[in-house]
Amino acid sequence: MKVEISRRRFLQGSVAMSIAGGVSMSSSSMMASAATPAKKVGNEDKKIATLCEMCVNKCAAIAHVRNGVVEKLDPNPLFPKSRNMLCARGNSGIQALYDPDRLKYPLIRDGEKGSGKFKRVSWDEAYAYINEKLTKILDEEKDNRSTVAFCAGEGMAEHTFKSFFTMFGSSHFLNHASLCLATTVSGYSLTIGGYGIADLDNAKYVIMAGANRAEAIVTPDTMDMFKRTNGRGAKLITVDPRFTNTAAKSDKWLAINVGTDLAFVLALTYVVIKEERYNKAFVENYFNGFEEYKNHILNNNYTPEWAEKITGIKAKDIYEVARDFMAHAPQAIYYQGRRTTWSKNDFQLRRAQAIFSALGGGIDVKGGICFGKSLPLVEHDAVAPMYAQAKPRIEKDEAAVVGGSGSWVAFRNMVLENRSPYPIRALFNYKHNPMQNMPNNAKTAEFLKKLDLVVTIDTMPSDTVMLSDVILPECTYLERTDPVVSYGGIEPSIAQRNKAIDPMFESKPVMEIMRGLSAKLTKPLFEITKKYDEDVQSAIEDDDEETVYAEFDLTKPFAHDQAELNVNAVAKYEGAADILKEKGVFYPNMNEYFKKVGVNDYEYYPEHKRAYSVRNMKFNTPSGKIECSVPALAKKGIDAMPVWRSEYEMAIPAGKFRFITGRHAQFTQSGTSNNRLLLNLVPQNYAWINKRVAEKLGITFGDKLEVSSKIGKTTIKAYPTEKIGPDTLFFVHGFGVYSKALSLGYNNGGNDAAIIEDGIEPMHGSSCLHDTIVEIRKV
Amino acid sequence: MQTLSLKKLFNFEKTPLNVVMAVTTVALLAAFMAGAVAYILHGHHVYNVTRQHPWGLLIAMYVFFVVSSTGLCIISSIGHVFGIPEFQQIGKRAIAGAIITISSGFAVIGLEIGHPMTMLIYNVLTPGLTSAIWWMGTLYGLYLTFICLEFFFLAIKVNHTFSKLFGICGLLVGLAAHSNLGAVFGFLVSRPSANGVFYPVYFILSAMITGCYLIFLMYGFRYKMNFPEKVSVMLVKLSKILGMLLAVLIFFEAWKIITALYGDMPERAETILHAVKHPNFWFGELILGMLIPFTIILLSNAKAIKATVYASISGMVGIFFMRYDLVHDTLLYPMTTLKRSEYQVAPTFVEYFPSAAEFAIGFGGIGLALFLYYVADKVFNLDETTQH
Amino acid sequence: MARYGMALNYKNCINCRACESACKEENGVLLLPDHYRIWVGVKEAEGQFPNISIASQTYHPSQCQHCDNAPCQQVCPTNATYYGEGGMVMVDPTKCILCTYCINACPYDARYVDNRTNTVDKCTFCSDTRLANGETTTACQATCPTKVRVFGDLDDPNSEISLLLANKEYRQVKEHLGTKPKLFYIL
Repeated sequence: MKVEISRRRFLQGSVAMSIAGGVSMSSSSMMASAATPAKKVGNEDKKIATLCEMCVNKCAAIAHVRNGVVEKLDPNPLFPKSRNMLCARGNSGIQALYDPDRLKYPLIRDGEKGSGKFKRVSWDEAYAYINEKLTKILDEEKDNRSTVAFCAGEGMAEHTFKSFFTMFGSSHFLNHASLCLATTVSGYSLTIGGYGIADLDNAKYVIMAGANRAEAIVTPDTMDMFKRTNGRGAKLITVDPRFTNTAAKSDKWLAINVGTDLAFVLALTYVVIKEERYNKAFVENYFNGFEEYKNHILNNNYTPEWAEKITGIKAKDIYEVARDFMAHAPQAIYYQGRRTTWSKNDFQLRRAQAIFSALGGGIDVKGGICFGKSLPLVEHDAVAPMYAQAKPRIEKDEAAVVGGSGSWVAFRNMVLENRSPYPIRALFNYKHNPMQNMPNNAKTAEFLKKLDLVVTIDTMPSDTVMLSDVILPECTYLERTDPVVSYGGIEPSIAQRNKAIDPMFESKPVMEIMRGLSAKLTKPLFEITKKYDEDVQSAIEDDDEETVYAEFDLTKPFAHDQAELNVNAVAKYEGAADILKEKGVFYPNMNEYFKKVGVNDYEYYPEHKRAYSVRNMKFNTPSGKIECSVPALAKKGIDAMPVWRSEYEMAIPAGKFRFITGRHAQFTQSGTSNNRLLLNLVPQNYAWINKRVAEKLGITFGDKLEVSSKIGKTTIKAYPTEKIGPDTLFFVHGFGVYSKALSLGYNNGGNDAAIIEDGIEPMHGSSCLHDTIVEIRKV
Repeated sequence: MQTLSLKKLFNFEKTPLNVVMAVTTVALLAAFMAGAVAYILHGHHVYNVTRQHPWGLLIAMYVFFVVSSTGLCIISSIGHVFGIPEFQQIGKRAIAGAIITISSGFAVIGLEIGHPMTMLIYNVLTPGLTSAIWWMGTLYGLYLTFICLEFFFLAIKVNHTFSKLFGICGLLVGLAAHSNLGAVFGFLVSRPSANGVFYPVYFILSAMITGCYLIFLMYGFRYKMNFPEKVSVMLVKLSKILGMLLAVLIFFEAWKIITALYGDMPERAETILHAVKHPNFWFGELILGMLIPFTIILLSNAKAIKATVYASISGMVGIFFMRYDLVHDTLLYPMTTLKRSEYQVAPTFVEYFPSAAEFAIGFGGIGLALFLYYVADKVFNLDETTQH
Repeated sequence: MARYGMALNYKNCINCRACESACKEENGVLLLPDHYRIWVGVKEAEGQFPNISIASQTYHPSQCQHCDNAPCQQVCPTNATYYGEGGMVMVDPTKCILCTYCINACPYDARYVDNRTNTVDKCTFCSDTRLANGETTTACQATCPTKVRVFGDLDDPNSEISLLLANKEYRQVKEHLGTKPKLFYIL
């Protein structure tokens, strides 16, 4: 963003933002929606097509609404991605909607930060309060917009919030990526030209390492995979330090030492290269730098025997898996994984996986990693303003590549440690819960307290909400229509979340919140820009102020009603808007293609219409081929080819444990910690500890343990089991909430954010969630 | 029947034993009331019964009472139905006891059955003829009617023909009802430890033993251990019967356990082994309920009546454990041994311990029985009347 | 007359418990202890880390077996438990006296006391909540991510369940008790 700007408008074209459904709409649409009658009463019984928001998958659902009450959520069979299902969390969406602990009114802090004391205010009072604080901050920071950071949780309406961020002009946007999937997405993208879609419906051999699709459900992967395991079409090899539900469905479970997956993949690669079992034609035609990689692997002697010592996996098993994989290739996949911020070598691990997968030729083919097609939506570029005083990202040099979603941990720590080149003073937060999802919550709390203004938009009083200054209640997904979304894939489709009932209490959809807030802020903030931005001053001299202000008008993206924007976004598909409203899902020829083929099974596209191979053997990488080496990164200290370094090996002192975290199918991170139905299924999390170790320590099921690391401690009940090794400790993420306003989640189980150390890996500054040594004590 | 003022009704000789009995009775009655109120206010939540252990102390106490009733009815019939002269004298007292104990049982079960009024209606409208509970309940209703008539013709409007007639009816229906109560458990195909012929037969046997114990207790209290000659003679004979019955019971129990353990059949063997290892069985049932009384009878050649009265206290405590174990042991083995959640230990034997309300109502029922017996003793002359 | 049963491709089951939550929401099962009409039984892995027997950890979706010869029905003193349409074992709450004899008699732990009606409740194959409204599947089947369940008419030789049972091996639970259960676990 550091651009020398003399004539602002000259450069405007270079920074564009997209607003779905565009600017051609008349502004009367917003008024029209406001004029529609409010709550209907009487014997109303309707079915609304919505999309689930209980996790990131966005499964299609039908909401049964009777007399204004959502009574049941059923799967909507039309959506190819969700394949006619709703998981436990999807079913419990009603409990999220009717959770008595929901945020109901705008609140302003009324006591010390963290005291949990808030006072109820009107929306306008809340906006006015934000305006007052924000103008003061920006005035003091001389319109350095980057003093205000923005963070958001994943979701369909994240886009709306991000529009506000873009208009606002800060350099700081932060989201889950650096706590989740940044390394795997870039690892695969830089190697094979995209993260891709594992075609588990057709793969014959799948290595799932660290991915737990039976418990961390991803659609359609979970549904496609487990109908074909147990000798019914697909061989599944699970590599995991724990015996997960996925392991229980596998042909082989390889218990690996935590954080050593890279050594395992390198050894697999060694076997297939040494024994020349790779797909020679594919490698010859579509690999860039194979010889170099081959020599690298062979010369480093990444043998299975070498890997056995590091990974704990028997060399014999590594030989067998490598050979089997190639025997089934190209219908063989080294599954990408998703939440992959494990340890320092993660980016290299994902690169090695991608190369190994590609050695079998299983890229862009049926049964391999596919890229699929997408159904483009109509997007309109709107011009984003440029603020001359906005300074660049503070944490941009903390890792090799700090992208648009930042490095959360690095950002937070720089602010806390006063390493920031300029003050960070405010945070706008949309449904993100860094208190729980970022390691070292003591630091996060300190960080939030240090800021002059924290504005949080959310549905529930999370730990982060409790440390905010202003709380703006959003309605839940069942109470709003969100931006229509196109889902690319082997069977692409467009899906839309339609509002099932009107927002309850005083909650609003984020679109309306942004509309209200931007209307309040736009003029006063422009005044500050005018005061400090010489370009703006000279532009006003040249043109009139109104023309210049029009560029900076914060309200632009929020002028229109979401439903109307959606109609516009799908305008190029005939009849799509109506179908999306009625059925929630659309794709061309849906009427013809969509077939019920059994009591449970549907066909979405005929076989020959599925987008298995789309690249025409030209991959989306710099060379158009599979990239074995990425030398550009070497300058930034990132190995051009995956290398195993001895510092990756982490000694676990006797009597201590390496801590790992993960998921169960009944919870979505910290977002479901107060869900009555889900807690009815699994009341709390438990610490997995090896049974024999527990026995020695006199620990039995349900005993309370204090788990502590260098940075903090938490209490949790013990679950002695042989499903975990003697030097590893596990519990599922998202419990042990501090917020007393979450009556069911409060103090329920162990909180991993309190104990995981906040180290980051060198590529994206993603946090290393599995690099913490803990000890336990019976309490 | 005597006319009686309230004052007279509650006036009794203040011997230490009487005072203790009075206090006990009032305390138990109060507990019964408190338990009943708790149940009426909060329903089944005040009981510790669960999905895996749906029956508890109240069912056990119900069985305890109806076994007592049937036992008294059978023992009394020795005299006035079968005409053994020495036993004629116990007729009225035993039948009064039978009416009182079954009424107490009904009071207890009334607070256990969720919808007693519904029961009265649909028991008639849509009878479940394959249900042992239907037969047991219906027959016990009939039984109560018969023994009330029997008592009427014994104590109020004396008519020996009718009292004998209704006595026979009461006995037969009572036996049928009682073996059906055994069948309530014996019919449970899902519970191998209970399923089979054992309980319907064993119930009759243990009823007779219970009846003997109760006769000893009633007479011991009635005569304050100074038994007239006639009573002594009867009690010695009864003691011999009791000794023989106990021998049979011990024999029955031994074979039940041996056959259950033999071959180590899944569920059945495990359940019985678990049950017999529990003090409820070896101390409660075996030592208190069988061995102490049996040893005393055996050693004294059935002549130590006073000791047998004391042994009957031990015996009745044992009988209580037999009833409690009957219910608990039947439900010991979980109907699914799989975990329902990752975070639990695999189900093993189902655990149960009665709640305060269950104790209050269950043992309070004894207070109810004692109170009714006291009143009956005051209102009616329960001794043998010689003027006819 | 239809005779409804359910086949379970139980090897598909990943123990996500979507079925349980859908059942509770569909049928208004209270979120209280002991209140569940269906559940997933977990047989936990045997062996010592890292030598775990993979095959030993299995998941068993369970519920009322809608026995053709139901012990719960036989023992009911007021016929509150009856064979409903399609041979489904049902409870008429107006007749239930809450003696809980049926809970003792059921070999499958399929019954419980509903805290709201204070009568015995159990799986109805969603006959009142879904089938009566024209749906053809139960809530648990509809929602299942890996499509474990196939509900259908056993008397219709062309129904998917009949075809499945005709062509696949299956096992049943405690059928030696003579209950003639109508849940079939496809091997």
